[in-house]
Amino acid sequence: MESISEKHVLKGKNQILFIIILTISTLALSLFSMGFGSSSQLDMFSTMKIIFDFEQYSCLIVPFSGEFPCNGDYQSRIVWELRFPRILMGVTAGVALATAGALMQGCLGNPLVSPLTLGVASGAALGAALAIVLNFSFFPISELAIVANAFLFSLIVVAIIIQLGNMRSITAESYILVGIAITFITGAIVSTMQYFATDAQLSQLAHWSFGSLSRPDLSNALWITLAIIWLMPRSIRWSWDLNTLSLSGDEFAISTGVDPVTTRRNILIISALMTSIVIAFTGLIGFVGLAAPHMSRLLIGNDYRKLIPCSAVFGALLVVFADTVGRTLFAPIVIPVGIMLSVIGGPFFMYLLLNNRGRAH
Amino acid sequence: MKQLLDIDVLKVSNLSFSWKNNPVPVLSDIEFSVRDGELVAILGINGAGKSTLLKCMNRILKPENAEIQIDSMNINDISLLELSKLVSYVPQSVMTNFSMDVFDVVMLGRRPHISWRISNEDRDKVSKTLQLFDLEDFAFRRFDQLSGGERQRVIVAKAVVQSPSLFLFDEPTSDLDLKNQLEVMKRIRDLVDNKERRAALVAVHDINLAARFADRIILLHNGRIKAFNNPKSVLTEQNNRRSFRCKMHDSQCY
Repeated sequence: MESISEKHVLKGKNQILFIIILTISTLALSLFSMGFGSSSQLDMFSTMKIIFDFEQYSCLIVPFSGEFPCNGDYQSRIVWELRFPRILMGVTAGVALATAGALMQGCLGNPLVSPLTLGVASGAALGAALAIVLNFSFFPISELAIVANAFLFSLIVVAIIIQLGNMRSITAESYILVGIAITFITGAIVSTMQYFATDAQLSQLAHWSFGSLSRPDLSNALWITLAIIWLMPRSIRWSWDLNTLSLSGDEFAISTGVDPVTTRRNILIISALMTSIVIAFTGLIGFVGLAAPHMSRLLIGNDYRKLIPCSAVFGALLVVFADTVGRTLFAPIVIPVGIMLSVIGGPFFMYLLLNNRGRAH
Repeated sequence: MKQLLDIDVLKVSNLSFSWKNNPVPVLSDIEFSVRDGELVAILGINGAGKSTLLKCMNRILKPENAEIQIDSMNINDISLLELSKLVSYVPQSVMTNFSMDVFDVVMLGRRPHISWRISNEDRDKVSKTLQLFDLEDFAFRRFDQLSGGERQRVIVAKAVVQSPSLFLFDEPTSDLDLKNQLEVMKRIRDLVDNKERRAALVAVHDINLAARFADRIILLHNGRIKAFNNPKSVLTEQNNRRSFRCKMHDSQCY
């Protein structure tokens, strides 16, 4: 019989294999999804041909002229200008929100927490509402006025979180309660504005809150992705501390060498930043940040060294899948990804949870 | 039993503690030391300050002006990570938010010693400790699905894997039946009798367990040390009446 140590090694290897398979599936789904659309259907190989056609990158030399793809035809323009940014945004949003969710749940020791709990998204919603209804924006003239305002207001909430974190006596519960309070306050202000808004403004505001991947263009999507890539290692490095904190609260953490107050503050800042970067562009996508970490936990357990990568990939998979279904199910009508995620993800989440409960006994 | 060496693992002086916004001190003028190889029990009724005293030893609580040394190092001069290599605390009960396999819970005890990767040495240490505590069959069961006594054993195993010089146990027997109470105390006894440099500070409210397993007993009453000596000289009729408000032959005491 194999020893316990060997069994543990094998378990770890299987978990890594699972994450690799999940990553490959996500990439495949993304390529597949890029072939779908109202104008033309492409199979995966044609999509790959377009993406790996190196001639179109020839104009990317410095100084950059702003032209891209360089000499692409109609089809490659559609892929590059419409579908690729959308899918890239989907992957990035999934990765960022799922990671933020996993981090927040772990460091606050609470399975009910999602990236929206701390009020970052409510701040963004307030910023968006101010820009839409009152034309009040710190970035007056540009098509990004709403996004920039949403981002700025979510950063104000991040600043509040940092201020809270500097108080030595702050507990996990206080963070959550302050987040809920912020949500109520901003909610009240947004409701007031809705009360006085015109029909057009109302519909624009509603549209923002559905959550959509169509807003960012290629360069936006690339910048967001770069920001998230920069933040990812900064979140994964807290894995051991999160393992300790998430098992059983502050006293247990201290006796294992983790300072809960400082660690929690640092982790929350990273996850709040991740959330605000994505939410400003996509609007409210909430469910993936709650469900992807839980689904990953059910599949590979609570070791954050593996849980963070697994949640990230799972989040990407969920968002891209939901968006693909949303684009194709009632084409040419596009159902916003935020709605689709809850519709598809909700029952799947419940199935996994209940199925797992049943097996445990 | 190993010979008691005259080296202080823990040295406490000038320790007083009170909660913020509450002038009534929970602990006052505490001064004692624990030698290598010693099991010191803290006895006292509920609210005497047993848990508070333990929590001051590893900076869960931070008393002002106290001088606390573990292995001749002031606990406030080193990082929490370094401190956790010297002392490990076993709480009364562990509530779980997110559960892990028993193996991984015990592995958390290695956390102060590893940066990222788990080495084979770490794995073997965990496996050996699991065997020592009869937990092999539970290695890949979920921690939250164990009984109270089994969980207690897992957390003790986690503390052992941490390989500290000083163990702090907060009421390690409170949730257990008589057989398991004796077993846990025996294991703690074995831990300090081990060749390595180790000592344990155990908060209990069972006088018998303290008398049977401890080398010395700290009798706490209203946050002050009433007596600190070997069980025989501490557990006198007079002390018992004063600190436990009952007589020696009273069944409540036994």
